[in-house]
Amino acid sequence: MVESMVVDKGQKLTWSEMTDKAQMEREGIAVDIQGVTKRFTTQQGDEVTALREVNLKIREHDFICVVGRSGCGKTTLLNMLAGFERPTEGRIIAAGVPVTKPSPRRGVVFQKPPLYPWLTVRKNVEFGMRMQGVPAKERNARAAHFLEVVGLADAGERHPYELSGGMQQRAQIARVLATDPDVILMDEPYGALDALTRERLQNELLRIWQEKRKTVFFITHSVEEALFLATRVIVMTAHPGTVKMDIPVDIPRDPTDPDNPRKVRENPRFQQLRDEITRAIYENSGDEERR
Amino acid sequence: MRESPNGARVHARVREFMSSKIFQGFASLVLILALWWAVTAAGLVNPLYLPSPAQVAGAFVEANNCHAISSGSSRIVCGEQQYFMWQHLLMSLERIGVGLAFAIIVGVLGGFGLAYAPWARRIFLPYINFIRALPPLGYIGLLIVWFGIGDTTKIWLLFLAAFPTIVLATIEGVDAVARDRVNSAYALGASKGQAFVHVVFPSSLPSIMNGIRLGVGFAWTTVVAAELNNGIPGIGALAYLSGTELNTPLTIACILVIGVAALLLDGLIVLITKLVTPWVGKE
Repeated sequence: MVESMVVDKGQKLTWSEMTDKAQMEREGIAVDIQGVTKRFTTQQGDEVTALREVNLKIREHDFICVVGRSGCGKTTLLNMLAGFERPTEGRIIAAGVPVTKPSPRRGVVFQKPPLYPWLTVRKNVEFGMRMQGVPAKERNARAAHFLEVVGLADAGERHPYELSGGMQQRAQIARVLATDPDVILMDEPYGALDALTRERLQNELLRIWQEKRKTVFFITHSVEEALFLATRVIVMTAHPGTVKMDIPVDIPRDPTDPDNPRKVRENPRFQQLRDEITRAIYENSGDEERR
Repeated sequence: MRESPNGARVHARVREFMSSKIFQGFASLVLILALWWAVTAAGLVNPLYLPSPAQVAGAFVEANNCHAISSGSSRIVCGEQQYFMWQHLLMSLERIGVGLAFAIIVGVLGGFGLAYAPWARRIFLPYINFIRALPPLGYIGLLIVWFGIGDTTKIWLLFLAAFPTIVLATIEGVDAVARDRVNSAYALGASKGQAFVHVVFPSSLPSIMNGIRLGVGFAWTTVVAAELNNGIPGIGALAYLSGTELNTPLTIACILVIGVAALLLDGLIVLITKLVTPWVGKE
């Protein structure tokens, strides 16, 4: 891996931050969300608390799925993890360093793949490396590798708009993987896909996660998707957004087995957890959105 | 008699041709010319008001050739107002080209500046909208006082006609860039400058090209006003002068030339737009 890609330039740490960083590394904590509160002022001038006092330690190689209904602040939380927004109170430490701005160490996968239509798929995958000054030869090789990983080896010279939604999402994932992030933040990446494609991509993601040993923070509103993917499910509730539940998932999974989705789904533990989490999401919110 | 399969095929071909865009465009042109010819040939209108197509064609040919000043005379004049019509057109194209070049440079750079600096936008945008709303004929007198009756005034006028639209289109283009596109560039390691060059600029290019296209249109509509004073050579001036001299065939010939030149230039811009932003409409 290229050393320069994983170093945030120009960020100086204080002594206590240095010791914190050392401790986080010892404990294997990738991201530490410390008492994060986020307040917005709406256009009408009302103050809205999107998130209140969120505390969460994400361990390295965790696959975290955040579930919750719309408005529970999960996307706000992801935006702050990515560095797109700043917390009103509290702080987020990633790899021992306070998050103040976006960094290629924290890759972001958006629901609607923001691929650049003026670039071919391969050049899209090379984009991050190009921005970071990786030489063309290495860029090429790495892009080819990651296109292969997501099953798009033959689509490199096409343009994003020539791909289906599922293929676009694969291309986006390849583009994020190619910059070799420690943490991958995913905001409902499969929400807009049809059920069959979604299942295939979920399986693929599990395989990639196992192979590349990344830390994943994955937002979804589907409890089943969360249980299928996560090592840990975080349940959030709205008004204000808070973490309500933090459940480790202990269902055996084998993404190399084509029958894996069915096996996971039929596991009694899966169904038990699904009911428990669904209840937690809808509890005390008793209103029309209940399904 | 039964139609042979071959005949049916020919029939289908003919029907296909009749419904093609080229044929329909051509047919409408022929129809208008025929109508025009019929009206003038029937003597329904005084030729001073509406000369026949043949007269207009004659004026067009004469304006591009040398000819005797009147039949039997040995004095030869070339073109109209001492220039051939194509020279008039070329001069106008040159003015439009220079005015537009400034409008594109200032418009695009200014647009990006205003898009990135909200305070500057609040200060300058009302004035840009103000200029955009002004009819060029209204302030050409002022420009003449400032810059004289030479080409500087004409280029200023064409510039002022085209640039507000380009500024606005550029700002609009930048405003419309999806937040995710820029954020994803940052998360892939792009600096602010890189995000601008590699994401914001190409994303706003379709809107900028559209602004340029509209700006060129405004430049054409302004060219007659720009050439009202001391505009010879210039196709706009020629159109205006010939009208004041009651040479309506030449006026109409000029109008047609301006229209066709504008259409061709517009087609060129559309083509360039397709070349530089091939993804538009495919997403």
